[in-house]
Amino acid sequence: MNRTIIFVLISTVIVFACSKEKNEKTTGDIQIQSLTATLLKVKAWDTTLLTMEATGSNLQYGWEANHGSITGSGKTVKYAAGECCVGLNTITCRVFNETGEASDTIMIRVNSHYIPK
Amino acid sequence: MIRVLLFSIVLFINAAGVRTYAQCCASGNPFISDAEQPALQSKVLTASLTYRYSHSEQFYHNDSPYNDLNFSETANVNYTELQLAYGITNWLTVMGDLGYFFNKTLHTEGQDPMRGYGLGDAALYLKFNLYSNAKARFTISPSVGMKFPIGVFDQEVDNVKLPITVQPSSGSFKYLANVFISKGIAKKMALAGFVSYEYAQLIESENFYYKYGQQWIGAIYFNYRIIKNLSLDLQIRNEYRAKATRENSEIVESSGYNVTYITPQLTYAFKHNWYLSCFGDIPVYKYYNGIQMSFGYALSLRLTKKIDFITIQARKQASNSSN
Repeated sequence: MNRTIIFVLISTVIVFACSKEKNEKTTGDIQIQSLTATLLKVKAWDTTLLTMEATGSNLQYGWEANHGSITGSGKTVKYAAGECCVGLNTITCRVFNETGEASDTIMIRVNSHYIPK
Repeated sequence: MIRVLLFSIVLFINAAGVRTYAQCCASGNPFISDAEQPALQSKVLTASLTYRYSHSEQFYHNDSPYNDLNFSETANVNYTELQLAYGITNWLTVMGDLGYFFNKTLHTEGQDPMRGYGLGDAALYLKFNLYSNAKARFTISPSVGMKFPIGVFDQEVDNVKLPITVQPSSGSFKYLANVFISKGIAKKMALAGFVSYEYAQLIESENFYYKYGQQWIGAIYFNYRIIKNLSLDLQIRNEYRAKATRENSEIVESSGYNVTYITPQLTYAFKHNWYLSCFGDIPVYKYYNGIQMSFGYALSLRLTKKIDFITIQARKQASNSSN
């Protein structure tokens, strides 16, 4: 009984301690032209508009920020980040369709909202 | 032999988390502040299901409310946790828990709410009965454990990844060590103390690098049996989390906190070893580094079933012999 429990414990640790890194690939008829922001420096909680320009058929857009949040969807979205995310943040836009996927990143500097009195 | 194997497991648990690859991070399962229990006796199983609702609203700067923002934001979480514990021997209890978020929602004025949901983190603990004196009603139960980020950490809405604050999983392996000490001080009263330390592993991927600050939790419990089946626990708990670190070893200034809670709890013991507890977390002191949304309150309900296999077996044997 004890050996079975120990075996289960070890197996659990092995299974959950292993993970894989995600790789992105660029393929298909998609060509990214630009990824731009209305503001490259913002104060915490202020917003900047991000726009991805790309060519290809039936394009879909995926967005991800390493810190901060993105609202909206499609080729133009809003990005904002609170005090937790002060610093140089990376936003990745993924463009994809049935032929493949391409991606680009843009860096937004978020400065502190707080000005000591 | 068993002790050697268990020691190997503990070492292996620590060695397994050399590096984690993930896409981003969140705070993970909340600390369920139900009065901690000592290690179980051999062949005793406890299973419990907890539901917890929490609400947060007020931004804080250090130890004061911060009202200079031109918008309002609230957050609420509906969470449930399944916990199983089994006494393998009289000196060792294995305990595991698994969290699930029905919702982890952030409402920002003028925007659609952001809602994450799904499996949170899982945890595995080894709890030791280091010292137990039934006559003096005194126990010391240290434990070590590990949290596994098995849950959802890359949830999207319309191909847009939700921010880490609403992702159900923490995305980080965490290592824990704690000790629970309990002492009966009168026929119907007991005092207990609990200290816990948590170390979070670095989360690193292509464009993400984050490390939660280490966490210390200290709690004092006062237990009083009001009537035969009803007991009251009053807990005073302090949670301290150090600042987090991000890319280029930058300190995240608006992270980390020091919060003191009072947690009253009522537990009713039903027949056949069923227990129902309700408790609430009320912060009485809050200090947040930088500017952060502060914890409001939490209400929890817990149902526990205890099964003593030795007693069951003894009853069966007694029944067979009487027949």
